[in-house]
Amino acid sequence: MTTSAGLARALALVMASRPDEALRELATLPASEAVQPQAWYLRTAALSQLERWAEAADAARQGLAAGGPDPDLLCLLAGAERELGRLETAERALLDGLAIDPQHVDLLCGYARLCLQVRQLDKAAKLVERAAALDPHAAPVYAIRVQLAYAQGDDRTAQQIAREFVAEYPEDARAHAMLGSTSALRGQVHAADSGFRQAASAEPTVNEYAEAALETRILEHPLLIPVRPFMRFGTIKTWVAAVVVLYGLRMLGLRALSFVFALVWLALCVYSWVVPPLVRRWMTRRWR
Amino acid sequence: MTDDLFTPTIRTPTAPATPPWRPESIVYPAFFGGALAATVLGAINAHRLSLGRGPVLAIVAAGLVLFAGRVAFAATIGGNTGRIGGIVAGLLTWGVVNAVQRKPFRAYLQNDWQPASLVGPGILAAIGSLIVEVIVIAVAR
Repeated sequence: MTTSAGLARALALVMASRPDEALRELATLPASEAVQPQAWYLRTAALSQLERWAEAADAARQGLAAGGPDPDLLCLLAGAERELGRLETAERALLDGLAIDPQHVDLLCGYARLCLQVRQLDKAAKLVERAAALDPHAAPVYAIRVQLAYAQGDDRTAQQIAREFVAEYPEDARAHAMLGSTSALRGQVHAADSGFRQAASAEPTVNEYAEAALETRILEHPLLIPVRPFMRFGTIKTWVAAVVVLYGLRMLGLRALSFVFALVWLALCVYSWVVPPLVRRWMTRRWR
Repeated sequence: MTDDLFTPTIRTPTAPATPPWRPESIVYPAFFGGALAATVLGAINAHRLSLGRGPVLAIVAAGLVLFAGRVAFAATIGGNTGRIGGIVAGLLTWGVVNAVQRKPFRAYLQNDWQPASLVGPGILAAIGSLIVEVIVIAVAR
């Protein structure tokens, strides 16, 4: 199949995450080209980037009807079906694709993602292992490994893999966003903020990154400095530390000091509940 | 190619009728209200996450044991140690709740479903739990 100039332009636009323009380009193709499998693939990819999942699934199905089963298109169909919440249909598409190409890394990662969603962590881990053996440095492999570690409750490993992901793909918005969110989980506000800001600047059109960047911007506000220990060490450790100090002072016979500490602690708790929502409201109003 | 991994296992989960709370958030009512608050909220939340009978029983068993320990401690040697026993028992119960619910809750979030707010139920549970605890300790003494 030779690629026409129009299709090549659409492909470049999809790769550059400019789905609106890609769809316009695809709409101008002559009828004979517009129904080619590659045109359907690009249409599906562009609609997926726009998160118009129902239309993306339709486009994928039309492409499959026009060109026969194709692992890449089945992978996009599975993604759209998953977003639509039809997980069994998504699984069928993935398995159809894997029946054609059992070593398709994207399909393996997509299937693992689906398993995570329904709490089948063991199966997800096996699929990830297989994908990682095939292509350890593929971007989707890094991404699914971060998600797997997160689902397993291992935030430290998740952040570590996200760091490797960023090191391997410094231009990838998703890598930065993942480093941002795993850092946020571990209460590392600066790292989280920088991750989301780099993601937002690499992919300015993705709302999710911009919103996350705004969210961590809020956490970095000077008024929230007193709340940092809660985020950095986690609520439980901060509380345990406070209780230890409180009763330590009491056991040492320093009742007055212990009372003052209790008051300060209470004030800090009230502060940590009241101030963050206020700062958020104030900052979002200023920026929108 | 016959491959165990490539046999279908997915069933579309249905969103729970009432969304669960964040297991991490239960630490607040657990701290203020003690083991009973953590047990009640943890058990309800396990049900909302449709965790089945085992985890609910584990939470209830741990919570009741810790509550009994807390009462025994207060009624015997812990004369004027105030709330510390209640706090420790509450936090330990929360530890069990969080250990059981952390992963299922993350899977829940992967479906793009939202958690419910714990503010109202949390305050209610903490106050209720405190009242019960005070009464039971008074009776035990």
